[in-house]
Amino acid sequence: MKKYALYPGCVMPTEQYAYELSIREVLPLLDVELVDTNGFSCCGEPMKSVNKMVTLYLAARNLAIGEKKEMDLFVPCPMCHFSLSECKHVLSNNNEMKERINGMLASENLAYNGTSEIVHTVDLLHDIVGIDEIKKHVKKSLKGLKLATHYGCHLIRPSEIGRPVDAENPQKMESILLALGAEPLYYPEKLDCCGAPILANLRESALTKTGQKLQRIQEQKFDAMVDVCPWCHKMFDSRQNKAGETVATKLEVPVLYLTQVLGIAFAVNKEKLGLNLNNSPVNKLNL
Amino acid sequence: MSIVDLTSMAQSQTELRNEINERLAKLQNEISDYCFQCGKCTAGCEAHKLLELEPHKIVALTKRGLIDEMVNSDVIWTCMSCFKCWERCPQKVAPIEILNALKNMAVASGKQIPGQYTSMLQSILSIGLIQDVQEVSTHDNKIVKRESLGLPPISKPVDAAKFQMALTKLAVEKV
Repeated sequence: MKKYALYPGCVMPTEQYAYELSIREVLPLLDVELVDTNGFSCCGEPMKSVNKMVTLYLAARNLAIGEKKEMDLFVPCPMCHFSLSECKHVLSNNNEMKERINGMLASENLAYNGTSEIVHTVDLLHDIVGIDEIKKHVKKSLKGLKLATHYGCHLIRPSEIGRPVDAENPQKMESILLALGAEPLYYPEKLDCCGAPILANLRESALTKTGQKLQRIQEQKFDAMVDVCPWCHKMFDSRQNKAGETVATKLEVPVLYLTQVLGIAFAVNKEKLGLNLNNSPVNKLNL
Repeated sequence: MSIVDLTSMAQSQTELRNEINERLAKLQNEISDYCFQCGKCTAGCEAHKLLELEPHKIVALTKRGLIDEMVNSDVIWTCMSCFKCWERCPQKVAPIEILNALKNMAVASGKQIPGQYTSMLQSILSIGLIQDVQEVSTHDNKIVKRESLGLPPISKPVDAAKFQMALTKLAVEKV
């Protein structure tokens, strides 16, 4: 039994319920226990353009809460995972900054030492649970399903900070999907950005990025797209119709979270996986 | 209190501005030693494909000290933080870090912050998260919320006042 404090972030627990539902259904089946912990806040990453110190402080604060509970953190959002990783990287090389941050954290009775580990969905499944264990739980093979993976920029770059997946040729989601019998295939736009980081200030351009990637996936006749980031999913799934308008195409690409795909292969009830919450046409997959 | 109010409090703003200036001066020195304008950053840049961001030019302009010009330009706000420039730079220059410093400086100098950044920061100050729990609709057009899906209450700062105080202090004066 592996045990983690669930660090939910902002986007997943306030609107991307399908990700949270499928995580809470699937991980316990793989002997991973998630502990709900009160007190967490935003990871700070969305504020990096405004004030980088705010980002660093918020990230350290969340890590400190994990340390206080003496637990490692499960961080399902790549953006949060990046923010917390970068904070650990910065503070391990800058003692002066660490002392300044700790001086501020003291008001909430918190202290950052850098002792909590953080994992994302992909490395938890691939490296810690392992492909062999996943295979044991497959009840329904996804044979013949052609899938396009999308990792999310913050999960794979920059490798200098230490990311859970390779920067230029990420393959861990592919390995997991192969274990389910599905057929993950390469496509040239695999590393393209979803556009979400500029949704706050350049909405049309952000949606155009989303539309361009989905259009290419549709043209290459994939059955579905699989992602692991609530921000990317918000673009590719929740805003697919709007994204289609920007590229003058009717987009009909089913987009699913990796944990939803796992749940389907494990024969979990579809409603429990939040499949009725996906806005993209997931029903046409007939799973 | 809005972020604009927070960042225009004269004395502390000067301090923050000095710090960012120092950071940029440091960047400027480092860049002059390393960047040789190969353009790999711009070749991969996600914002370049759609908008007009050219990270290698941002680096070159910083190197030449044209900082105010860039702080006042809209182009620094087109970065999609895809990190390809940082990943692929053979000299480890990380143009994205320069862009972040320029944006921070634009905010600290009281320039209007674009888009929803202000409301996101206000939301973090009041509830700890960039937005509160939203209603979403299902395939068959039913409106659902966290509770109706059987999800537990959301994790938020326990002592909101203390959280807000620390963060406000940070937004006003540097740590």
